[in-house]
Amino acid sequence: MAVLVSSCQSMPEPYAPPVQRQPFEEGRPHRMMRVVNTTDGDWIAHVVQDIPLSEPGPWKWTGQKPTVKVMTRTNQGLRYTIDFVLPEVTFKATGPVTITFLVNDHALESVRYTAFGDYHYEKAVPPEWVEPMKETLVAASIDKIWVAPADGAKLGFILTRIGLTQ
Amino acid sequence: MWQAFWALLGAAATVAACYAAGALMVDWAKAPLTKPERFPLSFVLGASLLHLIVFAMMALKIAYRPLVVAMLAVPIVSAVWKGAWRLRGDAVEPLSRVLRIFYGAIFTAFTIYYFFHAWAPESSPDGASYHLGLVARYLRVHGFEKIVTNMYAGLSAGVEMLYVPAFVIGKHSAAALVHYAFLVALATAMFAYGRRFGKPWVGAAGALLVYASPVVGLDGSTAYNDCGVAAIAFSVFYFLQLWDEVREPRLLIPIGLLAGYCYAAKYTAFVMTIYAIGFVAWRSRKMRSLLVVAGCAAAMIVPWAAKDWIYMQNPVAPFFDKIFRNPNRRVVTEQKYNDYLSTMGVENKWTLPLEVTIRGEKTGGLLGPIFLLAPIALLALRFREGRRLLLPGLLLFAPYFANVGTRFLIPCLPFFSLAMAMAISYPPALAAVLLFHAVASWPPIIPRYASKYSWRLDRILWQQAIRKIPQDRYLRQNLGGYGVARMIEDTVPKGVPVLAVNGLPDSYTTHEILVGFQSAYNDDLVDILNSGWDESRQPTRRMIFKFPAKSARRFRVLQTGVGAPLEEFKAHELRFFSNGAELQRDPAWRLRAWPNPWDVQMAFDNSPATRWRSWETASPGMYIDTDFGKYESVDEVRLDTSFDYANLRLQVEAMDPSGRWVKIASDPETKTIAPPVVIRKWATRELHARGIDYIVMQDTDWGADDMIDDPESWGFEVVAKGYGARIYKVVVP
Repeated sequence: MAVLVSSCQSMPEPYAPPVQRQPFEEGRPHRMMRVVNTTDGDWIAHVVQDIPLSEPGPWKWTGQKPTVKVMTRTNQGLRYTIDFVLPEVTFKATGPVTITFLVNDHALESVRYTAFGDYHYEKAVPPEWVEPMKETLVAASIDKIWVAPADGAKLGFILTRIGLTQ
Repeated sequence: MWQAFWALLGAAATVAACYAAGALMVDWAKAPLTKPERFPLSFVLGASLLHLIVFAMMALKIAYRPLVVAMLAVPIVSAVWKGAWRLRGDAVEPLSRVLRIFYGAIFTAFTIYYFFHAWAPESSPDGASYHLGLVARYLRVHGFEKIVTNMYAGLSAGVEMLYVPAFVIGKHSAAALVHYAFLVALATAMFAYGRRFGKPWVGAAGALLVYASPVVGLDGSTAYNDCGVAAIAFSVFYFLQLWDEVREPRLLIPIGLLAGYCYAAKYTAFVMTIYAIGFVAWRSRKMRSLLVVAGCAAAMIVPWAAKDWIYMQNPVAPFFDKIFRNPNRRVVTEQKYNDYLSTMGVENKWTLPLEVTIRGEKTGGLLGPIFLLAPIALLALRFREGRRLLLPGLLLFAPYFANVGTRFLIPCLPFFSLAMAMAISYPPALAAVLLFHAVASWPPIIPRYASKYSWRLDRILWQQAIRKIPQDRYLRQNLGGYGVARMIEDTVPKGVPVLAVNGLPDSYTTHEILVGFQSAYNDDLVDILNSGWDESRQPTRRMIFKFPAKSARRFRVLQTGVGAPLEEFKAHELRFFSNGAELQRDPAWRLRAWPNPWDVQMAFDNSPATRWRSWETASPGMYIDTDFGKYESVDEVRLDTSFDYANLRLQVEAMDPSGRWVKIASDPETKTIAPPVVIRKWATRELHARGIDYIVMQDTDWGADDMIDDPESWGFEVVAKGYGARIYKVVVP
């Protein structure tokens, strides 16, 4: 019965070539971006240490060495990137601070900040520091922390985004 | 609160209409029913009739709310008017007080869980997606429509047809309550069957073994259909026993209808159609009786087969696509799907008994540990009733290994449960067994022995049922994908389809969700999407066939190797050259391919994001054939393809003037080539050309991270984000 019914099937007539697609005139290569943005719904899943998970809002007070984990498919052309704030309230107490930017515990650079304010830092990451398809630790370590007089909380700086871009 | 009320009303009206229609037919057929048998058997028989009427309304596209409600009212009014409504029947021996209390206590305890679960917002994966998604979709257009982008639309949906009137009145929960009514009918009928042959304890035990089984309770209180199938299959058996007792010829009609309804409810239950015909043939030896049963069964089966034949070009869609070749479903996809269903991650089949009775994780739910004793059912062979139970049970069990999900054991469970009870027979022993089963199946107890991730009931959802906890809030917290479905509803323009890699609860959005594996069209879309980020799918391999210039009208690339399982023949672009210059593709050319003739243009469109695929495991004889319409001289053929296959052997052939294919080149030179820098935009443009302007990606989907990284490189704009997903809009086609 099945053979009988299947033998009644109609196969399509031969097709003519379709309209030929034209190449794009311009375009840039794809850029990988593994940045943990504190406004993302899944940011908590990336936190390794020193970023309180219960902190409300997009600005996260950090501890001394906030660290996140990200995974990349490549280790080529990666750049460390971070957006953070050194708040006036802590800066008045700590004075100038030095922040060391790290990838898999390799120090990329240490930068001394002598004024409070908003900062963006970005720098190329040596490929050998990152293994593709394995978790990479991206961190920033501040040399001086501020202890809140009210509750004794140890605060470093305010973080909004951190990760790797291409 | 109103949602809760309408859900109850929708279910009650549908169940009442089924009962009424069935009761009218039971009276006409002079079925010698006892009072306890009247509700369950009339309800299931009426369901078969009502399903056919709903099918007709859907086919005629007249499923408007007033007509649907009127359709429910007609049998109810008729039954009341003719006196068929009353629960009447031959008297049966009263139950002992102990049995009444015992049965009543266990039945009531589990009913509290089941009833509120069915009444609560529908949160089952398949119920909220295709079972009700298709019902909702059909109702938006007041009837069936040709759906070739969702394989589930090809399945027979005899139980879901009853969800239509329920859904019209009370939406999702009404449908789940209708399914729950089937479960109650099944348990009631099983109990009644035991009483009929003078063993009420056996009937009660069999019924409670099924009713209290965790997977049965959960499945039966959602908008699935397995308990419906079980109730229908058991009703076929029941009516056959009644007919065998009294040999009333009119009973052959309900038997035939129910036997056909088995197929209409689930393909695999077709074995009961064969069983019914075989039973009547064996017992009556009359051709006329056989023809009545077969004819009535055909009345239930043919509409579904015809619908699939017309819409899908396959009367048993979505299966057997290699026999019923069609452009709507891929052979490889079906094979992968069937392979998955036949294992569900259980590699060692000997562990299945433990998986389906105790663990319940991989196969989705558990029957309960008592069913490890199922082999004792064989002891029932010593009774005539036992022998009669075991045969249909075994027939219904036979297709199980094609889909090892625990719930696919539900249709055969009533037969084995009654046989197990019959094997024990001794009431105190049955009471002990039942007590153990009830305790082991009690929802708070199950986590103590079952897998942490087993599919099971976990609490009484009374607040959710009466909507004291709002439906929307409950679903956002408890149904994965619901929030995404609502996000689509809020973000995507009305009527626009959305491409998804994995399924979503379609019934909670009015948009068509095109899910990767659910049709050939969707397969193509996802293949295109994946070609944007997955290097193994990109045209990075160029095969160059060079040969002395050959003049011919037709050339083809023939595949002669044997592929590994699921290894396909693929071609992004096929180009012909003469003296280093490509032959420009001409509208007069005619392109053919085998075994997938429908997509051959994808190898001739100049796009690196599309490709022709055999969509079958490569075997000798597959080809791509180009007819130039005139003689052309060719000395080189280039095939751009991907590196995701290895065992194929390709050769170029030309057709000589006598019409014979002659091999002119093999062993091509292979080069690695770079895909275009903007391959993602190529993919996006191809999606747009196929009408796809919105894509939903869950963050865990393959390729999602690539889009999250750089949506601009895809030509995407993120229009919504949340619930672990993003919705992209195509902005650069």
